[in-house]
Amino acid sequence: MLDRAIFALPGVRRVLALLASASALQALCIVGQAWFLATALANLWHGAPIPDQTAWIALFFACFVARQGAVYAEDAYLETYAYDRADELRQELLRKVFTTKAQVVWDNGTGSVAAAMLEGVDQVQAYFRLILPKITSIVVIPLIVLAFALALDWVSALIMFIMFPFIVLYMIILGRNAKDAASRQYRTFQVLSNHFIDTLRGIDTLKLFGAGKRHGASIFSVSERFREATMKTLRMATLSSLVLDLFSTLSIAAVAFMLGMRLLDGTAQLFPALAILIMAPEYFKPIRSFASDYHASLDGVNALKSIQRLIGAPDGSDHSCELPDWGATSRMELRGVGCSYDSHRVLENLDFTAEGFRKYGIVGASGAGKSTLVSLLGGFLAPDAGDIELGNTPLPDFKQDGWQRQIVYIPQDPYLFHATLRDNIAFYRPDASDEEVARAIDVVGLDDLVAELPCGLDTLVGEGARALSGGQAQRIALARAFLDNSRRILLFDEPTAHLDIETEMELKERMLPLMEGRLVFFATHRLHWLDDMDEVIVLDDGRIAEHGPLAELEANGGALGRLAAQTAWETT
Amino acid sequence: MSARMRREAHVEEAQRRADAANQPATGGPTRRSGRDRWVRPFFKQYRKALAVALALGVATFCFASGLMFTSGYLIAAAAEMPGSILMIHMPTIFVRIFGIGKPILQYLERLTSHDWVLRMTSALRSKLYASIEGDAILFRRTHRTGDVLGLLAEDIGHLQNLYLRTVFPTVVAWLLTVVVVAVLGFFSLWFALAMLLALLVVVVLVPLASVLATRARVARRKAIKNELYCELTDNVLGVSDWIFAHRGAEYLNRYRSSQRVLRDVDVELDRFARRRDLISTALFGGIAVMTLLWAAGQFGGVHGGTANWIAAIVLGFFPLIDAFAPLSTAATEAGSYRASIDRLNELPDDPGNCGKAEDRPVRTANRKNARTEDAAAAACAPQVVLPSPGAPPTIRVESVRFSYPEAPRPVLDGISLEVRPGERVAILGRSGSGKSTLASLIRGDLKPDAGTVELGGVPAGSFGDDMARYLGVIQQQTYLFNRSLRENLRIGREDATDEDMNNVLERVGLRTLVERLPEGLDTLVDEAGVRFSGGERHRIALARVLLQDVSTIVLDEPTVGLDPATERALLKAVFATTEGKTLIMITHHLQGVADMDRVVFLEDGRIELEGSPAVLARESERYRRLLAFDRGFPSRSHA
Repeated sequence: MLDRAIFALPGVRRVLALLASASALQALCIVGQAWFLATALANLWHGAPIPDQTAWIALFFACFVARQGAVYAEDAYLETYAYDRADELRQELLRKVFTTKAQVVWDNGTGSVAAAMLEGVDQVQAYFRLILPKITSIVVIPLIVLAFALALDWVSALIMFIMFPFIVLYMIILGRNAKDAASRQYRTFQVLSNHFIDTLRGIDTLKLFGAGKRHGASIFSVSERFREATMKTLRMATLSSLVLDLFSTLSIAAVAFMLGMRLLDGTAQLFPALAILIMAPEYFKPIRSFASDYHASLDGVNALKSIQRLIGAPDGSDHSCELPDWGATSRMELRGVGCSYDSHRVLENLDFTAEGFRKYGIVGASGAGKSTLVSLLGGFLAPDAGDIELGNTPLPDFKQDGWQRQIVYIPQDPYLFHATLRDNIAFYRPDASDEEVARAIDVVGLDDLVAELPCGLDTLVGEGARALSGGQAQRIALARAFLDNSRRILLFDEPTAHLDIETEMELKERMLPLMEGRLVFFATHRLHWLDDMDEVIVLDDGRIAEHGPLAELEANGGALGRLAAQTAWETT
Repeated sequence: MSARMRREAHVEEAQRRADAANQPATGGPTRRSGRDRWVRPFFKQYRKALAVALALGVATFCFASGLMFTSGYLIAAAAEMPGSILMIHMPTIFVRIFGIGKPILQYLERLTSHDWVLRMTSALRSKLYASIEGDAILFRRTHRTGDVLGLLAEDIGHLQNLYLRTVFPTVVAWLLTVVVVAVLGFFSLWFALAMLLALLVVVVLVPLASVLATRARVARRKAIKNELYCELTDNVLGVSDWIFAHRGAEYLNRYRSSQRVLRDVDVELDRFARRRDLISTALFGGIAVMTLLWAAGQFGGVHGGTANWIAAIVLGFFPLIDAFAPLSTAATEAGSYRASIDRLNELPDDPGNCGKAEDRPVRTANRKNARTEDAAAAACAPQVVLPSPGAPPTIRVESVRFSYPEAPRPVLDGISLEVRPGERVAILGRSGSGKSTLASLIRGDLKPDAGTVELGGVPAGSFGDDMARYLGVIQQQTYLFNRSLRENLRIGREDATDEDMNNVLERVGLRTLVERLPEGLDTLVDEAGVRFSGGERHRIALARVLLQDVSTIVLDEPTVGLDPATERALLKAVFATTEGKTLIMITHHLQGVADMDRVVFLEDGRIELEGSPAVLARESERYRRLLAFDRGFPSRSHA
């Protein structure tokens, strides 16, 4: 539950020192309240009148409240500290995600990054707030209480002292055992706990097979089996708190018993006996609460680890170098470029040259590396072999600002932000004038949509708002490209793969003119696009199998021919 | 490719999280529904276990208090030096009993309360399932974005927390108050009354006040947080655009300012909680002093003797604070479950057996697995005789109109179509042209606003769950349950043998693949390393439908997202294995259409064009244009 990262936090020594003094203050209040209460009780027991005890009682009350005051101050300070540290993590994460092009963001998928940023950071904040004061209180409070107990009555102090290492030892042993037991049961546990959500998600499938009702009965029985499995684990897991509790209550009982015996024969006095009895539960409290928060802190530790892994990943190469604008005579060359993904070779030994405003079609079977090649060109991935040269400038990868500011990337499902249609269209040029936007809309054929929307260009679209079809999303992506005329490189990654044929046909008419005067890379498995490309790159298993103008490749009857044959429909 | 799949999974997860923020189950704005069907009714269930758990909860605190009480008494009595150990014999026994008993009781309490909550969960899950099952298919269709079902499952988890962390401790504290006041009443009525008032302040007034004081801020915090959540998720999903547009820094500043607003509310809430805790502590201190003064007045004034009780009573009070102190936090926390409870209450009520009485048919005599609820359902159904399931029925759609609620235009606007037994029909159209709606009407999941849909002369809507014996569907996304392959196949036919399964696997071309799996049919479908590709998943779906042994099959765009080679192979497999069956293929492009008997073009809710592929290719300019487009460069073989 303790992560070493805690001790590497900025200013943590100071914080721990402050927390230690807060704990010491609490311990002194504990001793004080025991001392004054015991005094009052002892005096009353001797038959003293109540009004004489006012001062003692008032002092007890003051200590009782002052202790909470110390907790107040500690928590107020720590709350800010935990927030500041967590916020630093959040800022660093945000920076990593939104500005650095770090590989880790693409590797982990954007969803998990968002989760880390939102829930993970909160968990880490809660963890800091939970764990830091415990580190100090578990050491400081028992020590101080024990010291005073020793001064009051050494026999009781000895009992309390002997119990402590036992508890710690026991916690370690049991913690380890519980962990083993838990991991042994983990598999069945997982399957059972996921059964419900799995059944719910597939409920329409069950219904289609008329099996909806039948599976309804299994929900209950599986859930009951899950309960039994959970209870089995819980019996083990809570056993540790049972034994811990037992240690502390039995210690208290033993202290009381020994005190009683020694009071009987006059070797002890009532006041110290009462004081020790009042202090004894507080002596065990810190370690018990340390144990009971084990699970709460576990989430925090895991979140901290995954955030630090994200943050710790390298930013990607230095990408500040200026590159000339791509023009009709520009030239780019890849030599022997290779790329891996999950230690699995996806692209190997690519050689090709792209020039001027030519259009390159990229085809190949699924898994041949089309998308990876587009990702590489867009700078989502860095190559791990070969050389890239842009004009005469060698580049380590395409993650360069100077390169990316010239690109428009159009994937299979362009992302629409939850924003107005206008903001979505003008995303690359927020300063575009109304006329420019209107023209872009006209060029990509979105007029009908704009006319149909209740608030026209100001209608909110995207997730949770007005849903648009795949074809409309593609048109918006095209409009973005059209609006930013300074971007002369278009990257397409199967833009029409899931559109219906008529929409595809209309879209193609709008797309082709936009490709003029631009360098185009177009990955697709819809072969009809190749008619309009200047060159075709056929990928096979991560390598370039064929490369050249369509007519040439057709004449060869090589890889392209085989690909075409695989997809053609011969009537049976 | 695995990278894309993984990314999609993450996107789904992120969407679900964003949904948790703002989506009530039924899509509309959150209404406070009249009746609570998910929390209180469940208290009655498993009443005994609940009573035991509560009793154990109260007993735990009584024992904790008892331990300090008897210890205090023991010491005080021993201090009198009675001379004989026998005089303090009873207290020493009780010290041991309480010392051993308290942890054991607490242990048992924890186990019973968890057991009770988990039993409750089983019941809640069944109820949730039953609520959705009735209209499952439409439910899935109308909630396509985001994972509402995952959300609802989480809501059940929230109810667990509500029980364990708020309801349970609160009830225990109240019961404990009653016990304490009753015991004190035995000694002094006035003091008992004073104690009652004091405890009411800490167990009722303070929690109530803190709920009232923070409610607005908690709601505001939640709203801000949800907004932040949605906004961040939205922008992280579109991060590549931010980077390409070089506007990353702009977004960071925007996010920081929203974060600051949230932070301000958090700080206020935290400050409130700290102050409240300080005041509560002062109250507890006050009660302790009050107890001390009363005990001293009642039993004091003498040396030893009854004065022994003073220490006992005062020491006995302190452990009770642990029962009363957490109530305020628990009460404030309860507010955060409101959304979950609302969402659950918005679900349709448990349909029960006769929920759709007017549609229920009488079962045909040759049913294999007659089930009791069927009999119950049949009892309240009108007399409809279903066609025999052997031969494919004629499907007749007569001038059907259909609109979705709140949609401006009808999706289907006067469609008539007849599919003869054994015919293969492709239904082509753009997204939104009503293709899938037509399929739902044929399956009887939707009812037409006007016109009729009949299978073998019987209205499609009156088949109910029996439709599964006539018509099988292969959906756009094949859902595989995270169970063994065998269990997934058996959804098609419950009593399928291994031989049956191997047969169909052979027919759909998966036999060798399955035989190569480490555990064959027993392999879990989502186990690490055994991820089926899109094409394979659809083949499993086909195998399932073949096991189902129906005479009519609807393909609802199953090839979306497959590459052309995989798509072609899949369609070939489907066509080869469904000889003699009626086949309705919904599609958005031309792959495989050439093998169909008839092509139907839907547009704007009407049939735009209809005929056999050969005739259309000859007579329709539009069809020819599409064909030419699809074929692409000249040398590709004909379509």
